[in-house]
Amino acid sequence: MNGFGRLVRSEWTKLRSVPRWMITLGAAIGLTAVVALLTTAGSQSVGDGGGGGGGAGAKPPRGHQDGGTFAYRELTGDGSLVTRIASQKADESWAKAGLMIRAGSEPGARYAAVMLTPGHGVRMQADFDDKASGDGTWLKLTRTGTTVTGYSSTDGADWRRLGTYRLGGTAHLGLFVATPATTKVVRQFGGESIDSLPSRTQAVFDRVEPRPEGWRVRGGVPAPPGEPPGDEAFTWDGARATLTGSGDVGPDLYDDDLTRMTLTGILLGLICVVGVTVLFVTSEYRRGMAGTTFTVTPHRGRVLAARTLVLGGVTFLAGAMAAVLSLVLARPFVRESQRGDLALTDPVVLRAVLGTALLAGLVAVFSMAVATLFRNTAAAVTVVLVALLVPRIVATGLPLEASRWLTRLTPAAGFEVQQTFQRYDSAMGPWAGLAVLTLYAVVGLALAARFLTRRDA
Amino acid sequence: MRHALHAEWTKLRTLRSTGLLLAGVVVLTVVVSATATGSVDITRCPTPAECHEDTSKLALTGIRLGQVLVVILAVLTVAAEYGTGTILPTLTAIPRRTAVLAAKAVVVTALVVAAGLVTVLLCLAVGRFLLPGGGFTAAHGYPPLSPLDGTTARAFLGTVLYLVLIGLLALGVATAVRETAAALTAVFALLFVSPVVAVFVTDPHWQERIEKWAPMTAGLSIQATAGLDRQPIGPWAGLGVLALYAGAALLLGALVLTRRDF
Repeated sequence: MNGFGRLVRSEWTKLRSVPRWMITLGAAIGLTAVVALLTTAGSQSVGDGGGGGGGAGAKPPRGHQDGGTFAYRELTGDGSLVTRIASQKADESWAKAGLMIRAGSEPGARYAAVMLTPGHGVRMQADFDDKASGDGTWLKLTRTGTTVTGYSSTDGADWRRLGTYRLGGTAHLGLFVATPATTKVVRQFGGESIDSLPSRTQAVFDRVEPRPEGWRVRGGVPAPPGEPPGDEAFTWDGARATLTGSGDVGPDLYDDDLTRMTLTGILLGLICVVGVTVLFVTSEYRRGMAGTTFTVTPHRGRVLAARTLVLGGVTFLAGAMAAVLSLVLARPFVRESQRGDLALTDPVVLRAVLGTALLAGLVAVFSMAVATLFRNTAAAVTVVLVALLVPRIVATGLPLEASRWLTRLTPAAGFEVQQTFQRYDSAMGPWAGLAVLTLYAVVGLALAARFLTRRDA
Repeated sequence: MRHALHAEWTKLRTLRSTGLLLAGVVVLTVVVSATATGSVDITRCPTPAECHEDTSKLALTGIRLGQVLVVILAVLTVAAEYGTGTILPTLTAIPRRTAVLAAKAVVVTALVVAAGLVTVLLCLAVGRFLLPGGGFTAAHGYPPLSPLDGTTARAFLGTVLYLVLIGLLALGVATAVRETAAALTAVFALLFVSPVVAVFVTDPHWQERIEKWAPMTAGLSIQATAGLDRQPIGPWAGLGVLALYAGAALLLGALVLTRRDF
């Protein structure tokens, strides 16, 4: 065994042989799982948080909705549909009017669509993903074999190809309109909330080829509260088709992030981790062990590196165990249709689990660095815990943008790695959040290494 | 008891950390309060009156962070003695251990009351100075904060009581566990985790239950001066919940202290 390996083993022995520390790390895993049980069990009496579609059973993928109005015919083989958008009434820049082909009428079915939007021109989207952009008001969708192709044009003669999509078998081909909800930030009772109001859109399609006669309609127009039932969802007067709709085919910023909710408990686990890692460092100073450690290994940077490896590694494993245990235990308490949101086979769930483990490891390294800098238990525990918790402690009552910045600038940004989709309250992307925490850990470690090698002990 | 008090007072007074921590409570609270008060305005209210902004509570936002230093002060009062070993002479000089704990509680209370009063007075001044800038003026239905107003006085003086109870809670926990890291971790977890969990529990019943029985959210309800019917628990009842926690922690500390070796 080489020198560094021996050093790692001695640091591991120091951690392992204090029963209280190992018990606390075990408790961190247990507490995380208990909170997971409480949050999921406490959340299930509420109605479906997802928006849009409304069909029983099936559900669009997490963070998405599948609403709007769709007038269609069945398509078994090859076919095409052409139209011109004569007019579009909408308040939202991402309102949509255009052509869609989809595998079925259930929410979340595979689809491809070309559409006109008031604020973002002509777009081709498929399966909730933006594929391409174009211009003009003429739209065309064709299927040859299993290849669906989308086109747009300014004059109906010169077509520009936007993209292709594969969809075979029986499909629904037709006209659709959709619009995201209108959102407004409202301050009331000492806090800010985002209000989401259903918005409506109406579009007139002319030059529809083939003529939409005898087509079926999916979706509809909920009447505004206190008003008589609104327009019909779909009318055809022989020359012009008019579609009216509400709800979007696209991201749902208000969907519940079930995975993130289930993994919230890691906060409690992290508090235990901070206690153990800080004590691991400061108790050496208090008991005079630090002198022995640095006499045995005069190269102090190596001691710090070994410690980073041991503490980071052990807490990484503990974090992974806590996250997996939380998801497995919470599963039976979740409605059947939502169990997939906790499946470890889903890449985004796996990212959240891996992220939670990395979060635990990075927090351990950060608190070890802070403890090495301060050599004082009270100061180190407080600084680390406040840094992790401050956005949640202070943010209540602050304007939303201010509390978002508080998250972005503190180590608490690391918690963003637990999100499985972009919600209205996400402060930043998952990996960007983890990067902020990593930066804190690396800078802390660099400062600790500098001070450790320059001062007495 | 007088000797015990004198001894505890001397011990705390001569520590450099005591003065720093108390000054920290004042500065941290006032700075955070000022930042929060300055960042809020009426532009996003449906109408100024419909905002139902609790201006007293807003001007006292910083307590959420300032209390952290009160916790450290109270924990160090006990745990530092175990860390350095001075607990042995302390208990040898005053064999009645409950008297030692009582004296520590009295001294911590006195110090926190003093720092707390300065803090809330400064917060009041900050509120009076900054609130009109955000549009919270008498014309919009937000009269300037006044200590002569009953509910405002309850919020500001109640906040001092809140800090005292937080200090006593931390003192009790520290006496029971004897170790700085363990005591701080336990108290911070108790204070800060439940509000975070409450955010993620979407069932409103459970949310309310957590806010009603968690020490921090219950205790801070003393700061409410408007929309009391929307609070999960009344101001005094909420402070009572925190007092129960503090009493239980002190009792536990006393029991452990009198029963174990030292």
